[in-house]
Amino acid sequence: MSSNDVKLRSKSGSIAAYSALVYVVVIFFAILAIIPFWYMFMNATWDTYSIQAGVKLWPNFGHIFSQLKANWAYLSNRSTFSFTLGFKNSAIITVSSTALTVYFSALTAYGLSVYDFKGRKLIFTIIVGVMMVPTAVNITGFYRLMGGMGLLGTRWPLILPAIAAPSTVFFIKQYLDTSLSKEIIEAARIDGAGEFYTFNRVCLPIMVPALATQGIFAFLGSWNNFFAPSILLTKQELKTLPLMVSMLYGDRYTDYGAIYIGLSASVFPIIIAYAFLQRYIIQGVAAGGVKE
Amino acid sequence: MARGTNTSTKHKGMSYTKFGYLFIAPFVVVYCLFSLYPLLTTFWYSGTFMQNTNAGFWGFSNREVYYDRYLDLTKVYASFDGGLEGQTGINTTDYKNMQAFFQTQNAADQYDPIDPEALQNIVENPDISQATRDKVQQVINTGDISYIASDSSVIDELVSWSANYVDLGIIVLDSLKGVNNAAIAAATVEESESDTEVTITAEDILGSDDYAAFLDTLQAGDFDEGQTLLVNYLAEYAGVDSLYDFFAAEDVSVESDVFYYICANLNSPNAVYTSADGETSIASISVPFMNDLTTYLNSNVWSTTVPAINSYSSFQGYIDGDIDLHSNQEQLYSDLAALDAMGLIVNKVKLVQSGDTLVQSSEVSQNVLAAMRQYIDSNYQSDPIKSRSSLAISSLRNYLDNGGRTRLTGYNIDVDSYITFNDDFDVSKYLAFKSLIGLGDVLTMDKYNELDAAMRQLYVDQARVDLETAQGKLPAAQQAYDAAVASGDADQIDSANNALARVVSDINKAEQTIKRPTGLLSKADATEEYLFVGLDNFEDIFQNKNRFNVVVGAFYTTAVMWVIGFIPQILLALLLSAWFTDTKLKLKGLNLMKALMYLPNVITAATIAIFFRRLFSFSTGQAASPVQLFLDAIGHERINFFINPWATRLIVCFINFWMWYGNTMIVLIAGITSISESLYESAQLDGANSFQTYTKITMPLLRPILLYTLVTSMIGGLQMYDIPYNLNQYPSLVAFNGTYIKSTQTVLMYVNQLAFGKSSIKQVGIASAVSVILFIVTTILSILIFFLMRDKDAAAAAKAKKLARKAGR
Repeated sequence: MSSNDVKLRSKSGSIAAYSALVYVVVIFFAILAIIPFWYMFMNATWDTYSIQAGVKLWPNFGHIFSQLKANWAYLSNRSTFSFTLGFKNSAIITVSSTALTVYFSALTAYGLSVYDFKGRKLIFTIIVGVMMVPTAVNITGFYRLMGGMGLLGTRWPLILPAIAAPSTVFFIKQYLDTSLSKEIIEAARIDGAGEFYTFNRVCLPIMVPALATQGIFAFLGSWNNFFAPSILLTKQELKTLPLMVSMLYGDRYTDYGAIYIGLSASVFPIIIAYAFLQRYIIQGVAAGGVKE
Repeated sequence: MARGTNTSTKHKGMSYTKFGYLFIAPFVVVYCLFSLYPLLTTFWYSGTFMQNTNAGFWGFSNREVYYDRYLDLTKVYASFDGGLEGQTGINTTDYKNMQAFFQTQNAADQYDPIDPEALQNIVENPDISQATRDKVQQVINTGDISYIASDSSVIDELVSWSANYVDLGIIVLDSLKGVNNAAIAAATVEESESDTEVTITAEDILGSDDYAAFLDTLQAGDFDEGQTLLVNYLAEYAGVDSLYDFFAAEDVSVESDVFYYICANLNSPNAVYTSADGETSIASISVPFMNDLTTYLNSNVWSTTVPAINSYSSFQGYIDGDIDLHSNQEQLYSDLAALDAMGLIVNKVKLVQSGDTLVQSSEVSQNVLAAMRQYIDSNYQSDPIKSRSSLAISSLRNYLDNGGRTRLTGYNIDVDSYITFNDDFDVSKYLAFKSLIGLGDVLTMDKYNELDAAMRQLYVDQARVDLETAQGKLPAAQQAYDAAVASGDADQIDSANNALARVVSDINKAEQTIKRPTGLLSKADATEEYLFVGLDNFEDIFQNKNRFNVVVGAFYTTAVMWVIGFIPQILLALLLSAWFTDTKLKLKGLNLMKALMYLPNVITAATIAIFFRRLFSFSTGQAASPVQLFLDAIGHERINFFINPWATRLIVCFINFWMWYGNTMIVLIAGITSISESLYESAQLDGANSFQTYTKITMPLLRPILLYTLVTSMIGGLQMYDIPYNLNQYPSLVAFNGTYIKSTQTVLMYVNQLAFGKSSIKQVGIASAVSVILFIVTTILSILIFFLMRDKDAAAAAKAKKLARKAGR
């Protein structure tokens, strides 16, 4: 009995040691994931000289706000970087494209899920297939099309295509297939509601959880988008935040405090939003993998 | 997981089903228009000749404007014997007005006098009088240049201050810009021109007359003492009695190691010869050969010049301030010396010390590097405010003298109404101008098409005549050549050969013209009907050795950066997901850890890349980036990561790994938790440990999800752009299969460079062809991975099922 007891204890002891090791590794990677952002934020509170003299992992106590203000002022004086302008442009493009993606994907998914029309299966198969098509390969054709339509030098090339988002349609359809009860639609029809009325007023509210998740991903994708805007937006007054940040790459008269505050400013809104939405985001990522 | 829908509602009214089409209509229309149509046109463009499409075209939404801009009416009039003026209704005055408009617009495009950031330095410059500084401040506040443009005393003061202010930093930066441009130009030419297999000798470089004189000089040995020492030493090195013997030998080519060694040392301003009695410094010898060699190498891009260009990314560093000029002198000197040895530094100035400043001497000197170095070493300190204001003043003056608004008014055009500043071209403003001068209804698209077709027809007709004539001459020329060969007279063979070659070239030229006639605009092929050239673009990619290497190199770079990032990413994700789902461990705070590890994935990739650039950037001074400080701390010498191709690529791999392992991990955790609990329970009953359960149950059942991760990661990886682009905007060059490629240039970056790059020639056809190859490669790889893994997967699933059944028994 006693020898058995010892064995048990040593086994639980080795599990404890094992989980301690696991904790060390996990915490190491968790810190590795956030330290760059912490470093960015801390550097934003220092002046160029101090930043270059050593690694700053703590804020510039006593001068935090004055130095932030000074760095910000220096940054705002640049002709190539304007946070407010970049933020405004990013916001306009992202909000409108996300709204379009969410609404029209819901519409499409609803159409595919609810109505048993001819060719439905084929169309759905095609949508799943085109999800795998690399999106950037059509850029020369897209650019010339936009030129032909007179949309170059505007934000429209980044907004209008959002209406057709195959993967969003796919995920919302998966959700609808399992969560939307057809009785509700029947009931609405009996009450004399039109099809679009039923969709907008009855079914759309039911789809909100799926729409929110997909909306978050559409929002992030559009907000972080770099390739297409870098080619399509050449006017300074239309440039989005990632393009502005890209301008911080090289500057003849380098002010590191200003660069770090610029980087921080572009990261900060995302981190705040992430803090509130991370549960939904992670659920969404997990769902995306399993469903496939 | 909710249950499936109730199947009792199957009998839905038939009349409703048609609504399905309505609901999916917007998606289908938009997808076809914005994704499918561009994809198909990209395929189409890959088979068209669009190489000469000019930069301006891309920015314009209106082709007429583009045509107008490059319309050369004088040529048109000449071609049609003047009969056209009446036909088109375009008179010369209107045409001249139009040209003036575009010249003005070109000037406006260059226009940027009011850069507040730069002007601010003038305001802060204590050397400038308060009154002038106030006026400059006014300009900044109002954005109106007239505060100083109208007041000559202000300009005079600024210009005279700037003329007397000498800043080494500016001089160096200016010359570096020139060097950099030369280097980039050389690198670009290298890419588009194929290597010649011809052996180059000293005679080729000098021409036969100069070559004889050169040999005479070498034979006469009319050198001073030091030079004689050098010449003798080099002759000894080459294993000949004298340099004359070496160069007189007919089989000596430029590619020869000895040849190269001699040239390098002859050209070196401070060649050192170690004699028996110690070290003797020798000045360079002055023979015309060296100058000619430099010129020759510059005009014929020679593969060995490229290694020197390799340092051009560090020059970019000096220019954009990434590498501090003062803290990084050693690097600067060695880079300068390397480029100087290759003859890329053209404008050398001698700097003489006068009082406590350095001034430019008017005489040209080879000694610039030494003087510069001495000066920086001793006492040079740049005043940032002053040097920046000097730059601001020079651009201000440039504007006022040459390209500015004052000049624009000289065109008698109401500048503000018709000209757009800031790099953009406002089509509506131009159209207003065009209708003002009465061309609105005349110079229309239809007229262009008419003129263009007529022009092409004219050229084709001419070419047909030429072709017929040349073909008529061909048999005679061939006969003459055969006769000359039979006679064996070398001179006769030569001239007959030349005559024959001329006829053949005429035929080729005429055939080309018939195939691709130049229309109205020689600069562009921008009509609606693109010239279909079949597989010519693909042939260019696969036949032209350099282009092939650059394309394959881009695929290689992309693939390498994806694979090296992906392997640790998937391994770590597997490990962490195993831990996170291990019920024995009972880990706490997992949700927080998951959230933290996923965080990098939601942050803008551009921001992350710029951040890592800062993290690893290189300098030799006290001030340095964190990684360099870390190297100092562990006693390792500093590393310039962005010069070393593999270091840069590994940083890209690390960023990819760091951004994506959290994502993969979450997907895998979801996959593991969806595996039926009973499988694990029965395995546990059978006494399987964690490792066994993992390899025997988890891994096989996880295979579809691993497949999904692999395929999506590969599709994303092949389209890699944001991180390598932002991390390394001016990549260093690296040899790939005999061609120099940019170390971190991915496929999309290459497509972008070809179709949207800074070069004035946009190679849209080739760019589309590369896109198509990317599309095909991605598709083939996806299908391949899918099929390779599917079989195993099915087998493994069957095995796992059998195992489970066995365990359950």
